[in-house]
Amino acid sequence: MSSKQSILNALKSVAVAPQAMPPINVSPRLDDVIGQFETNLGTVAGTLHREGGLAALQAKVDELIKEGKQVISQVEGVTGNRSAPETAHELKDIDFAVIPGDVAVAENGAIWVNNQHLGHRVTPFICENLFLVVSADKVVANLHEAIKQIGLNSGEFGVFIAGPSKTADIEQALVVGAHGACSLNVYLI
Amino acid sequence: MSSQTTALNSGVHAKKADIFCKDEARVDWHSKALWVLREKRDRAAGSLPEWEQLRQLGSEMKLHTLTHLGEYLETFEKNCQANGIVVHWAKDGAEHNQIVHSILAKHQVKKLVKSKSMLTEECHLNPYLESKGIEVIDTDLGERIIQLAKQPPSHIVVPAIHMKKEEVGDLFHDKLGTEAGASDPTYLTRAARAHLREQFLSADAAMTGVNMAIADKGAVVVCTNEGNADMGANLPKLQLHSMGIDKMVPDLDSAAILLRTLARNATGQPITTYSSFYRGPQDGGEMHIIIVDNGRTDMLKDKILAESLKCIRCGGCLNTCPVYRRSGGYSYNYTIPGPIGIAVGAQADDTHSIPWACTLCGSCSYVCPTKVPLDKIIHHHRRLKAKAGKLPYGKRNYMPLVGNFMASETMLNCSMSVARTALRILPGSLLKPFSGAWGKYRELPVAPKSSFEAWFNKNRGQ
Repeated sequence: MSSKQSILNALKSVAVAPQAMPPINVSPRLDDVIGQFETNLGTVAGTLHREGGLAALQAKVDELIKEGKQVISQVEGVTGNRSAPETAHELKDIDFAVIPGDVAVAENGAIWVNNQHLGHRVTPFICENLFLVVSADKVVANLHEAIKQIGLNSGEFGVFIAGPSKTADIEQALVVGAHGACSLNVYLI
Repeated sequence: MSSQTTALNSGVHAKKADIFCKDEARVDWHSKALWVLREKRDRAAGSLPEWEQLRQLGSEMKLHTLTHLGEYLETFEKNCQANGIVVHWAKDGAEHNQIVHSILAKHQVKKLVKSKSMLTEECHLNPYLESKGIEVIDTDLGERIIQLAKQPPSHIVVPAIHMKKEEVGDLFHDKLGTEAGASDPTYLTRAARAHLREQFLSADAAMTGVNMAIADKGAVVVCTNEGNADMGANLPKLQLHSMGIDKMVPDLDSAAILLRTLARNATGQPITTYSSFYRGPQDGGEMHIIIVDNGRTDMLKDKILAESLKCIRCGGCLNTCPVYRRSGGYSYNYTIPGPIGIAVGAQADDTHSIPWACTLCGSCSYVCPTKVPLDKIIHHHRRLKAKAGKLPYGKRNYMPLVGNFMASETMLNCSMSVARTALRILPGSLLKPFSGAWGKYRELPVAPKSSFEAWFNKNRGQ
């Protein structure tokens, strides 16, 4: 018998009686959703830029390029100085990546990013610093709402990103910047 | 470091806890570090008015899935295949390891980067692959620390919680060439970042655990704070994900429930930094999922043990456990320590002692995000050990006597009366030895004048 078949056979004698799937109805907190998002993004060590939109972001990018930084942009309307390379490994010297987010979650500061906008999947992780751009009307109250709006088609990759990478594995001391991006700035448009 | 041998050799829990408790200052420090996590968890849970509703939903949703697991696993496999994912089934750890090795061998993989997976610890995958000549790099910072120190994890979420920063500094100086005596966590983390970046960029394959497997999408969710799972899985063209059959959830809505409680209950964060959904390999890449049983279907055949499979490995029960906090992760004879380690590991414990590494206070069940009745399960394990004639030495002899004794009203009343008198008239030094381990750190109680029964009859009786 295959291992698959033996596992499935064993599952026919589960001792607990079949339980029904519970309906999921959790009331969202709807007051000042963008304010909640800003607070929680701060909690996870990210920064929200409410004003200025893409123009402010482009000005920041221009400044960085002048300083000699390597910037790649996947956001229409923002221009960096690098384009998507042939292989993912060539992204290793990217200082800043600019990436569009699809949905932002007020309760936890997370932003959904889908791989259609990433070039290589590793882009938001391998860059030293990350800029995410999200539309103000795409900020939802909680994860239940967000999960209904995200896109994850067959074969795709998507990720909720909440702040820059971090660790507290050495004596519980929080260090921002583990393996992924060391900072996260979110521009609201 | 002698802790590796200590950790790997099995021994009665109390004996191994004694080793940890020799350094009282360190025990206090360990206990406090974990209690900080518990406090952060309380703040995060308290900030959500719907917290108890989420626990209830998590519990019901997981029980629903576990009682329909065969159907969900088959749906999951079918959907994965439609997404271009290769699915494998392993009945035990040995088969899991062979499958992983055969995939890696086919691609001539020399270096594998791994993110945290308690399942691969349970299957002892690393030593197996190393014996086959494959270099395995653990990439979670805590896991890398203990891998370099040649130690097993002492906690499921913060695996190096038992180590002080000075010890990590010395280790990194030795292995990674950091400055001698440097122990600043930021400095050490940056050094590990640079070291591991080289590993990510030169790896031939990546492997991760799975936090949730979504049946109706054929996708797996992997949660990390460091980004190590995603740096791994998205650089080399070969990605592997190992999951226990208990990681299944029906759909995205179900995953959302657990994503809301997992990090809040683990570290007090509103969500992990990265919650990554893989629904197929990258362009030109290959993605494999290995579904593992390794004793889980046996647990499902016991009504009480079955509920332990609702666990989402947040580590909340470890952080709150008064025994774990003061006996350390190496005192349990299982890869997973603490209350959940007892629940899922007691049957494999050849010392038959870990079900007693518990005061039955119930704090673990109270904080559990999926309402695993841990204290009930641990109590059940004691019963199972007794039924199997496997009570540890001592308990085997005196517990039946205590049982008979306490069941007899006359014997109990007489002896309590003797004890009260003895406590009043005899010197403590004479009585203390009779209190055994209990009296080691405690003073003998002041004897009441009469029994509770006598007091009750006088004051509340008819």
